[in-house]
Amino acid sequence: MRYGMVIDLKRCVGCYGCQLSCKAENGTPPGVLFARLAKREFGCFPDTQLVFLPLLCFHCAEAPCVSVCPTGASHYREGGVVDIDAEACVGCRACMQACPYGARYFNEDQREYFPGQGLTPYEEARYSDANRGIVMKCNFCIDRVNAGLEPACVANCAARARVFGDLDDPESEVWRLIETRGGAPLEPELGTKPSVYYLPP
Amino acid sequence: MSTTTLRQAQGGAYDRLLADLGATFRPQRQWVEGRGLLLIIGHFLSGVGAGAWLFALAFDQRAGLAAATATVALAGVFHLLFLGRPERFWRMFRAKSSWIARGFVGMNLFVPGALLYFVFPDGYVGGAFLAVSLLGAAILIVYKGNVYAASKGVPFWNSPLLPVLYAAYALRGGGAALLVLLPFAKDGADEATVGLIELWIGLSAAVMLGFYLGVMRNATRAAQRSVAELMHGRVALVFYLGTLGAGLVVPIAAGVVGLAAPLSEAVLAVVACFSLGGDFFAKYAIAKAGVYVPLMPTLGEGARPPR
Repeated sequence: MRYGMVIDLKRCVGCYGCQLSCKAENGTPPGVLFARLAKREFGCFPDTQLVFLPLLCFHCAEAPCVSVCPTGASHYREGGVVDIDAEACVGCRACMQACPYGARYFNEDQREYFPGQGLTPYEEARYSDANRGIVMKCNFCIDRVNAGLEPACVANCAARARVFGDLDDPESEVWRLIETRGGAPLEPELGTKPSVYYLPP
Repeated sequence: MSTTTLRQAQGGAYDRLLADLGATFRPQRQWVEGRGLLLIIGHFLSGVGAGAWLFALAFDQRAGLAAATATVALAGVFHLLFLGRPERFWRMFRAKSSWIARGFVGMNLFVPGALLYFVFPDGYVGGAFLAVSLLGAAILIVYKGNVYAASKGVPFWNSPLLPVLYAAYALRGGGAALLVLLPFAKDGADEATVGLIELWIGLSAAVMLGFYLGVMRNATRAAQRSVAELMHGRVALVFYLGTLGAGLVVPIAAGVVGLAAPLSEAVLAVVACFSLGGDFFAKYAIAKAGVYVPLMPTLGEGARPPR
């Protein structure tokens, strides 16, 4: 069993739904984006191009962030999911330098979204002091997955551009899409063996 | 009701994060800006301290041994202050694959070992403390470069050349620190010999730095961008004045002059201060020039930074 995700760049419309639903699900503070959408415009009118690239932790099978962690806080969970033990992280940020995909964020202090007005009831409920001074990242919403649900970004993708499943199962939808559409991970030459594949636009 | 926005409240930090995330070559900031500067200072002090301890041992310089041990202990404090959760430092003993953990072990071997060797230098007990201290010093000299080299996200650092360069800088910094100490405590060290060794390591470091930059200039686009940041980008001033000027040109020129006519202890100490400053700025510049692997397609955007 190896959890993985396929993102269809042909279907992605750059609506930021993944980014927002992830924030709602995980209650991440400002400056921490487990899922984010990189968007870039190229060219000059009328010859222009708009490129979207939804990004998240790629849960690499050979994750460099795990091997550089001095405490073992970065670790593999069931299904090859890379997660952080918030109680063990010392906030050295070595994993951030090791990750080639920019999937990790340092939560220096607990910031509110509306400065000067204190934490909103939502923020009070969702923020945890255990996350202060440590690195945070996506864990494929593993609690949802264990409960039989899809990760929030998959469940809330309006264009159904994201598919979640078992990369080791030849019968799975992710396997079929990668095989038939020629899915490829980002920067495969780095040798990290990511579990997130992109289908060409 | 307050109208302060998130962006205003964070003094531009939030804007900068968003700009960084949107940039092709996202700059590395965590290990060099804000509290990251504490890490650079810690790396600098631990290298200089371990190098100075080896020089002091070689020249039987008791004051040097004491100062070097204190320097490494101070480096440990800077490392701790950098951490987001310093109270959990004891968890960093997981030395299986992490060079940070190995460095932590090295520091914990060196500081008590060197302290005990200073107090009990003789006999079998002294020999045991010496062995532990030597092991700790060796780890401290090599670990920093390997910590950077293990950073796959920053191609400029992800090179086997960097640990060699940082080890050379640590040894050179050690020699320089001893030269600074000589006017105050001259036990057994000969300034001419230390100065000659310092010149030799300085020249080696210059050659290695040139070689490293030459290799990186022809490596990945992110590494090329980092070299460009050093040469004519946002780190150029620090690189030319600090790393090259103070760190290499002045010490090497003084060393060459010293071959013809011996320099006084005071002059050597001043030159050594330049050398130490250069070592610090070398670490700072290399850390600051780091950029992450570009993820978005660049469609012709060059590695050259905008002027």
